[in-house]
Amino acid sequence: MTDQSAVLADVRRGMVPAHIYNDAEIFALEKERLFGRTWMFVAHESEVPHVGDYVVRRVLEDSFIIARDQNGQVRAMFNMCLHRGMQVCRAEMGNASHFRCPYHGWSYRNDGRIVGLPFHREAYGGEAGFQRKGQTLLPAPALDTYNGLIFVSLDPDVPPLREFLGDFAFYLDYYTRQSHSGIELRGPQRWRIKANWKIGAENFAGDMYHTPQTHTSVVEIGLFREPKAEKRKDGNTYWAGRGGGTTYKLPPGTLEERLRYVGYPDEMIQKMLGSWTTDQLEVVGDNGFMVSAASVFPNLSFVHNWPRVADSDDVLPFISIRQWQPVSADETEVLSWFAVDKEAPEEFKRLSYKAYLMCFGSTGMFEQDDVENWVSLTSTAAGSMARRLRLNSRMGMLADDSPVVAPLGREEFAGPGVAHVGYGEYNQRHLLREWADHLERPQSAAETQDVGAQQGGVAATTQNGSATAQQRTEVQ
Amino acid sequence: MTTQIRMDSRNSPLGQDAPTAVAVGRPLPFTDARHLAAHQWVVDEAYLLDAQDYDAWLDLLTDDVHYYMPVRVTTALGAGYDTAPQMAHFDEDRYSLSRRVARFATEHAWTEDPPSRVRHHVSNVRTFATDHPEEILVQSAVLLFRSRGDVHEAGLVSAGREDLLRLVDGGWRLARRHIAVDESVIRMQNLAIFL
Repeated sequence: MTDQSAVLADVRRGMVPAHIYNDAEIFALEKERLFGRTWMFVAHESEVPHVGDYVVRRVLEDSFIIARDQNGQVRAMFNMCLHRGMQVCRAEMGNASHFRCPYHGWSYRNDGRIVGLPFHREAYGGEAGFQRKGQTLLPAPALDTYNGLIFVSLDPDVPPLREFLGDFAFYLDYYTRQSHSGIELRGPQRWRIKANWKIGAENFAGDMYHTPQTHTSVVEIGLFREPKAEKRKDGNTYWAGRGGGTTYKLPPGTLEERLRYVGYPDEMIQKMLGSWTTDQLEVVGDNGFMVSAASVFPNLSFVHNWPRVADSDDVLPFISIRQWQPVSADETEVLSWFAVDKEAPEEFKRLSYKAYLMCFGSTGMFEQDDVENWVSLTSTAAGSMARRLRLNSRMGMLADDSPVVAPLGREEFAGPGVAHVGYGEYNQRHLLREWADHLERPQSAAETQDVGAQQGGVAATTQNGSATAQQRTEVQ
Repeated sequence: MTTQIRMDSRNSPLGQDAPTAVAVGRPLPFTDARHLAAHQWVVDEAYLLDAQDYDAWLDLLTDDVHYYMPVRVTTALGAGYDTAPQMAHFDEDRYSLSRRVARFATEHAWTEDPPSRVRHHVSNVRTFATDHPEEILVQSAVLLFRSRGDVHEAGLVSAGREDLLRLVDGGWRLARRHIAVDESVIRMQNLAIFL
């Protein structure tokens, strides 16, 4: 594998070698050192609300069944039969107490425990030949949640999710905790784009500079009143912990007036007052900033906007959560969900869904133009000329790395992390620096395990670590 | 057995006021005047969509139109559903469709400038009577071919459609369209087109 240290050094000084957006070697490194190690979003608990509910989601090529077992616990199980490796679940959603492999009929409870092994005695001599007791579908090496968002990691030694997110959790609450009940997710819409996964993640993290140009049309048709150039530069971009995002500056007013301005009914505003911390409320009410797009490293993004959904001056806010699921160096599957507070009035949910469909997702009028740009960028980055260009990603920074605009002080912005008003590529740099930190650290080989082997009874060794991982998912 | 699961506007939060007519009886004979009119309508419409003549297309829609393309999902046989609950690609009324059309008419809808080369291949047309003499139900298959630029392969979207056409002022108008897209993951950069 080519030494990429020069590429990583360039990225760190804000000069981005264009080929990183379409480079098979870089992608191979990302698979091993980034996606093989970090927390990856797979589902929200509201997608599996009842016992037996499941969805099947991938972490790159690895398919996982995300199921709520008979005890109500959410599990993530590698979707591979322990016998010949078939997918034991070939639907993408449903409700089941068991999963049965169509090949030889091995079956598993929805907590992963094997329950059916045809002719166990005749074929294997029972437990003496194949230890069925305690065998489970391979669990995701790590699983953790925040506000109902379920993440898995392929690395059992990953730090706890809350620690990984760091201060970005403060901002996640705006999207996922507008009441104590949190959100419900609908979807996802799924579609494939011939674009590198990093472009979407960077764009949502901090590209407020593109809005007035890329999204001119949605202002012209009266869908959106905000993205005019003068509006966007009044907002700030913030980075905190493992994520960052953009905000809009709201017109003067009280907290309630500002939340009403983006279209929240009083009933929901009251719940936000009870759900958000003093600092979280201060960002909106006193500082006048409202979150818009955001990304959590590496590939999970959020958006919050407030378009018109009918021929009137009223606006309706919506939230979308989306994942840029890498397929290859030049292809990404987009999974785009609509999210809404569980306690929101039904009429609000209805219109917020309409707002989402009009703006984002496979048909969204914002998103259509974004993807056109990203596809074009990706194909241009494939050639040899692109290897001669290091794209300038230093917006907001002078030659000596000092900021063009000083960061906001505590009096101006109560949120954690660092925030700057105006145009800048601070967050894209943060995201890519995190990326570089992952790519330069080799990932140790994952532990392997034999299926059904008696302790010490088979020639190949089973390492201690895998036994621990297995015990973790055994039924309590 | 059948794998056919009927689509219903009532499954959408935005389809509660949609027209409710359903097919009655067997498909009309291909010689039936209503079938001939319906067939001509869907073919004429395909030419409008290929030409991206969306203003003329909007004129073919009723004021209460529900234009609905749910997200298809892979579910076990017998699950009873094959669309994502309360999620669609398109779930449109006349207002939202008019905004989409208005956007294409601006000079800043980059995703269709330069425009795609599109072809709607429409086939398998069947027409049914309904309980209302002025409403007929038309089923068709559509294969959309969409080519952009010169680098990427063209995209295809295959779908079945069920349209409710209503006679308004002597002409047929689209009052409801259900689109059963045949992929769970759309292989196209966006749906900045209509089916």
